[in-house]
Amino acid sequence: MSEVSARPRPLGLSSGFRVLIVDDDPDMSEFLAHMLRAEGMDATTATDGEEGIAKVYAEAPDLVLLDVMMPGVTGFEVCSRLKSDEATAMVPIVLVTALDDSASRVRGIEAGADDFLSKPVRREELIARVKTLRRLHETRRELERRRLAAEVESREAIRRAFSRYVSPRLADRIIEDAGSEGELFSRRAQRIEVVALFADLRGFTRITERTEVVEVVAMLNEYFSILTDAAYHHDATIFNMAGDSLLVGFNVPFPQEDAAERACLTAQEMVARFAPVATRWEQRYGIATGVGVGICMGEAILANVGSPHYTSYTIIGNPVNTAARLMQTAPANEVLMCGSVYHKVRALLPESSVEPRGEVTLRGKEEPIAIYAARVAVSE
Amino acid sequence: MTQSAYTVTVAKDLADLIPSFMNNRRKELETLRAALAKSDFEELRRLGHRMKGAGSSYGFDLVSTIGKAIEDGAKTSDAAAIASNLDTYEDYLAKVEIVYE
Repeated sequence: MSEVSARPRPLGLSSGFRVLIVDDDPDMSEFLAHMLRAEGMDATTATDGEEGIAKVYAEAPDLVLLDVMMPGVTGFEVCSRLKSDEATAMVPIVLVTALDDSASRVRGIEAGADDFLSKPVRREELIARVKTLRRLHETRRELERRRLAAEVESREAIRRAFSRYVSPRLADRIIEDAGSEGELFSRRAQRIEVVALFADLRGFTRITERTEVVEVVAMLNEYFSILTDAAYHHDATIFNMAGDSLLVGFNVPFPQEDAAERACLTAQEMVARFAPVATRWEQRYGIATGVGVGICMGEAILANVGSPHYTSYTIIGNPVNTAARLMQTAPANEVLMCGSVYHKVRALLPESSVEPRGEVTLRGKEEPIAIYAARVAVSE
Repeated sequence: MTQSAYTVTVAKDLADLIPSFMNNRRKELETLRAALAKSDFEELRRLGHRMKGAGSSYGFDLVSTIGKAIEDGAKTSDAAAIASNLDTYEDYLAKVEIVYE
C-alpha cells in the first residue's frame, strides 16, 4: 500500500486539477505527489498498471503520470488501453521513462502518450510539463463547456419553436431525430397516412357580436388553451389555428399505431374539458356554445408550404378536407368521423352514444364513405 | 570503493519524505543482497533501474549511479561487479549525511 495516499491533502490549495500517479516505486510516487501538491494540485497514486486503469475510470483524473517499467501491465499497455477507449482517450498521459531510453519514447508515442518526463525527475521539468498540459486541459475544457452551452442553447431554441406546434414530448423526439438523421422538417414533401382532426366552437360568433374585443381575445385564448392541452395530451401535431377552428394531425411526423384512437380520445377530451367553460359563458352571455369535431383518416401530403417569406408545416388532402366538412356539420358536443376511423375506435365508444349518419361522396372519389356521429357526455 | 564521508544536499521542502526514503533504501539493500545470493539477475536489473530513477530525483546522485551500475551488471550477469557496487551502497547508506537547504 502506498504511503502517499495516507498523507492528508493540503487544505485550501486544491485547484481542482487532479493528477493520478502510476508508479510501482512508492518513493517515486511520493516524490511526484509532493511536487504537484506544492503547486496546489490534487495527487492520487496507484502502484501498478491495473490499479492505474481502474482509478482512471473511477476518478477521471485530469492528467496521468505513468511509469513505463512496472511489473505486470507495463506503462505502454496502460497507455494503449486508455487511449483506445473513447471514454478515457482524452485524459492526457505523461510517460515517465529513463533518460537514456529513446526506444521507450518511440514506443510511448506509438502507444499514444501526450508527453514524456525523464527519470530521474528534475522538479523544474516536472512542473513545466504539468503546467503546460494543465493550461491545454483548461483551454480544452473551456472550449468544450462553450460548445455544450451553444448546443444546449440551440436545442432550447428548437424546442421553443417546435413546442408551439407539437407536445413537449414530441419536440424532444424531433430534436433527437434532428441529431441523428436530421432534416425531418426540411426534407421534401411526402405522402403519408394521417388522421386529421378539426375542431371549432359552435355559437361563438354570436357571442363575439355582443362582447368587447379584449374580452373576445381572452375567451379565445381560454378555449384554445383547452384544445391544445388536449391535443398535446395525446401527442398530436398542431397544424393550423384560424378563427375559432383548430386542425391537428396524428401519425405525423412520427408513426402512431393508435393514431385513430388518439384522435378519438383527443376529441372527447376537447369537448368534455370545454363543457364547464361553456356553462360559465352561458350564464354570463345567455348563449350556448360547445366544441364540434370532425375526424377523418387517409392519405395526405405532409409538407412545408408557402413562399420564401412565410411557410407553414401542413397536411393537405382528402382526409383534411373531409374532416373540415364533418366539423362544419357537427353540432356542439358531437364528434363526426369517417367509417375507417369509426371502425378503429368503436371499442372506445359506448354503443348508445354512436349513430350512423349516412354517406357522403368525397371530391375525386367514386365511392361514398360512411359517417358516424358520437355524442360526448358532458357534465353540466 | 568506500569513502570516509558522503554529503548530500536535499531541498528543504523534501525533508518530510527523507526518513521514509532512507528506510526504503536500507530495505532495498537487503533485497539486492538476497537477489544476488540467488543470482536473480532480472530482480537485480529491476531494482537497479528503480534506484537510478528515484536517487537523483531526491538529490541522491550516487544512488542513481550505483543503480545504473547494478542494472548494467545484471544485464551481463556480472555478479562480481554487482557485489562490489552493493558494498559501496552499504558503505554509503551507513555514512551519508544529509544537508537541507
